Amino acid sequence: MARVLIIIPAYNEAGNIEKVIDDLTTNYPQYDYVIVNDGSTDATKEICRENHYHVLHLPVNLGIGGAVQTGYRYAWENDYDLAVQIDGDGQHDVSFLQDMIAYMDEQGADCVIGSRFVRKEGFQSSGLRRTGIQFLSILGFILTGVRVRDITSGYRLVNRKLIRVFALDYPADYPEPEAMVIAAVYGGRIKEYPVVMRERENGTSSINLKRSVYYMVKVTLAMLIRRLSFGVRRQK
Amino acid sequence: MIPRPLQITLSIAVVCYFIIILYYLKRRMLELKYTLIWLAAGVVMGIMIYFPELLVRFARMLGIESNMNGLYILCIAFILMILMTLTAIVSRQQMKIRTLIQEISMLEKRVREMESNAGNMEGREK
Repeated sequence: MARVLIIIPAYNEAGNIEKVIDDLTTNYPQYDYVIVNDGSTDATKEICRENHYHVLHLPVNLGIGGAVQTGYRYAWENDYDLAVQIDGDGQHDVSFLQDMIAYMDEQGADCVIGSRFVRKEGFQSSGLRRTGIQFLSILGFILTGVRVRDITSGYRLVNRKLIRVFALDYPADYPEPEAMVIAAVYGGRIKEYPVVMRERENGTSSINLKRSVYYMVKVTLAMLIRRLSFGVRRQK
Repeated sequence: MIPRPLQITLSIAVVCYFIIILYYLKRRMLELKYTLIWLAAGVVMGIMIYFPELLVRFARMLGIESNMNGLYILCIAFILMILMTLTAIVSRQQMKIRTLIQEISMLEKRVREMESNAGNMEGREK
């Protein structure tokens, strides 16, 4: 039985975290989990302490990329076979995880991305946002030859090979599309698995309309630069 | 040619510049590694005060007609270079800080768990 670590980055998720962890510990005790409390300013830390959750407290806020990377470092140091990241707001349904792991074995993949757009069920996000995701998805395809439809999905399962890669090298902010390019240039085989996502109940998404222009520019450039610097790394 | 009085004024300015840098270095407020580029800039300034024709020749070589424009372009290029170095230093430090924070969080978890285990053991002994 593979040892599986669920990485849950949490920034000011006091309203959601108990529900997410209770669901995990009661319904999925076979998986280990670790919360990465990314310097939350609300009661997240106290809630974790009271309930004796497995939690890594970052003393200052690093942003989602730094928080997730902490989880991968933890997975690597503790010799986990598989690591999966889910959001701390309860958007991602852990019941798909078993199937994702089976699919990973079956396909010989290094990374399985839980995707909303394969079967188009559940929460689908707004039209403009979907167009942006589609653009990044096509860009990812041009750069790496792998088509990931839901390239911004934060629901990702990776094996030891990519745990190592991500522990050492993970983008700082808005990391998902860039991380996919990183996985691909390090020779990871990436597959998508259809999942249904819930709409978040408490809190707001980290990407509002104002930031989306910055998001698109930053992520596009980051992906391009990642792909360009690959040639340098390959020679080593 | 630069007139003699101006040459003296500029020399004093450059000397002050070096004294300030050396003062900071002595007080350990600056890391020598990051000061080398400033010292190099001072040396270049000093040379140009006494041999301005070097600048003129260099400007002509680049195809710049006006001496003053040549000077400005050189200065701006130099400042841009220093700023870029600074950005690189900031980025590198950010990466290091990130790793430190991550390692601290993992250590904190281990300490917390060891303490609670030790607490449990003590409880059992009593």
